[in-house]
Amino acid sequence: MIRPGLSIVLFLALRGVRKHAFSSFLAIFTIAMAAGLFLSTWKINDETRRAFNHSSSGFDAVLGARGSKLQIILNSLFHIEASPGNLPWEQYEIIKNTKGVKEAYPIAVGDNYLGYRLVGTEPELLTHHEWKSGHLYEIQAGGRVFSPLVKEAVVGSFVAGKIGLQGGDQFHPYHCLNFKEENKHRDIYVVVGILEATGTPADRVIWVPIKGIQLMDGHDKSMSHSLSAVLLSLKGAAGFSLDMKYNKQGNVATMAWPVASTLSSFFDKFSWFQKVLELVAGMIAIVGALIIVLTLRSSMNERRREFAILRCLGASRQVISSVIVLQSLILACFGAFSGFLFQYIIHFFVSYIIRENTGVLMHDFSVDIMGAYVFGAVLLIGLASGVLPALQVYKAELSENLKQNT
Amino acid sequence: MLHISNLKKGFQRTGEIFLPVVSIDELVLEKSKMVAIHGESGSGKTTFLNLIAGLLVPDEGKIYLDGIALHELTESKRDFLRATSIGYIFQSFHLLQSCSALENLLIAMSFGGQANQAKAKEMLDLVGLKDRMSHKPGDMSVGQQQRVALARALINQPSLLLADEPTGNLDAQNAQNSLNLMKELCASTGASMMIVSHDPYVIHAFDHQVAWDDLNLVSKHQTCS
Repeated sequence: MIRPGLSIVLFLALRGVRKHAFSSFLAIFTIAMAAGLFLSTWKINDETRRAFNHSSSGFDAVLGARGSKLQIILNSLFHIEASPGNLPWEQYEIIKNTKGVKEAYPIAVGDNYLGYRLVGTEPELLTHHEWKSGHLYEIQAGGRVFSPLVKEAVVGSFVAGKIGLQGGDQFHPYHCLNFKEENKHRDIYVVVGILEATGTPADRVIWVPIKGIQLMDGHDKSMSHSLSAVLLSLKGAAGFSLDMKYNKQGNVATMAWPVASTLSSFFDKFSWFQKVLELVAGMIAIVGALIIVLTLRSSMNERRREFAILRCLGASRQVISSVIVLQSLILACFGAFSGFLFQYIIHFFVSYIIRENTGVLMHDFSVDIMGAYVFGAVLLIGLASGVLPALQVYKAELSENLKQNT
Repeated sequence: MLHISNLKKGFQRTGEIFLPVVSIDELVLEKSKMVAIHGESGSGKTTFLNLIAGLLVPDEGKIYLDGIALHELTESKRDFLRATSIGYIFQSFHLLQSCSALENLLIAMSFGGQANQAKAKEMLDLVGLKDRMSHKPGDMSVGQQQRVALARALINQPSLLLADEPTGNLDAQNAQNSLNLMKELCASTGASMMIVSHDPYVIHAFDHQVAWDDLNLVSKHQTCS
């Protein structure tokens, strides 16, 4: 609706956007890409750190064979990467009875079913351990936790969804962490329960008794008294003393502690990549701003006649230059909003990839304070892009334009 | 009422030669009167109308419209006066091509401080364009475009209507109809009208006629290119 004041300025600015639909679309698309990429880079980095730090399944530390702390954590808590080696069963007995250790659960890995890991452990991990403060693992209705001495399995919800395992199903495990048809074990496991989803790596493995892995048909007999790692919950300052005992004074095992800072140092290794992406986003933003300027300039050349007519009808210089600035702001505004859409799409795919590969569940998409900052920055870019062409229009002599058009 | 005295306007051309275009001692147009100024093309008539409309600033002289000293107004006040008190019809109509007939009128109204859709529709109805309100100029005949231009010029009920060769693009029949409509609408709103043309047919349609060469002292000696 055309009304005096801002309404007529808005009407004319929108007409300008519509009249130059293609270049307007190009400007909006470029700005959206820049804003979306920048926000995604920032958000995914932040969100991935948070998601991984909250997916340590309620454990403070992991005792593993001598090797990299990060490898031990990724292997035993996130079920990715290979184990650096095995620990003798005695190490589990020792640490379980060490002062300051609240919980200790042994795990053994080395087999899979159709590419999904079998993790051998004690049933108490699924019945007594809080994977998140106040949250125990739950088995879907009709199921139960495996017995420690029977070939039974509890399947993570992600695995159950992917390969369709249900209560009562039987399967043959395969040797190694990667699926190969020829590595089939003769043992048969029966599914006795499906875990309720937790959004942690526990969802993407098959839980079996530790004795099952240790005594699996075809495994080396030396495996029967070894394990891959011990998952630990600690009390008080036990972490410091255990770190000292195992990492600085001992040479039998590695204490991966604290989990959060080990993961943090892992992500820090990729901080350069975030900076590169931010730089790319910045460059795209500059291109977007240039496209806005070019769109406005070409629009101005074509609209010279229109502006002259408007001046004849009584429009002031301020009104005409406001139309240009508002047109630029509209492009920036659409660009910023589309940027959130881009961010949403990128977030969706990245979340999917992370979930598929690690089981770590990222938060649903949300716009936070950084989104508001980027929105403001994009509007400023739009404003800055519109000022120069608007000044040109402001300074233009009406008589010159009239001469050209009469 | 329009009162002009000692009005002078010229342009600096290439080679730094100052070329005088308009030089008028005195001209008075009473309220509700209509005058036709006739003269050759390129003799400065459009510049004269642009001075009255406030689109150009005179080098010297005074222009009063309804007692307001146009020559003393700031540009923004001149813009507002043009929007509210002066209607201007151009030879090539100068319609906004991307806007409908109705929008052309509403835009003109909005610069005058109001945009009454019912009134705009009523005006288009009055000029016989009831069925063409949502049509864009490109979808209209030349005669219809001329009527949109007329409706737009009069929509803010100006006290003065300026028309620069308004029938230059029309055939004889349409020109006759258009002139009649212009006179009729000005008479009904009480607006004064100043029309400039080189067409004798148009000039003879008005009782009050002035020869540009008699009015403009510059023209007595030379003709602008």
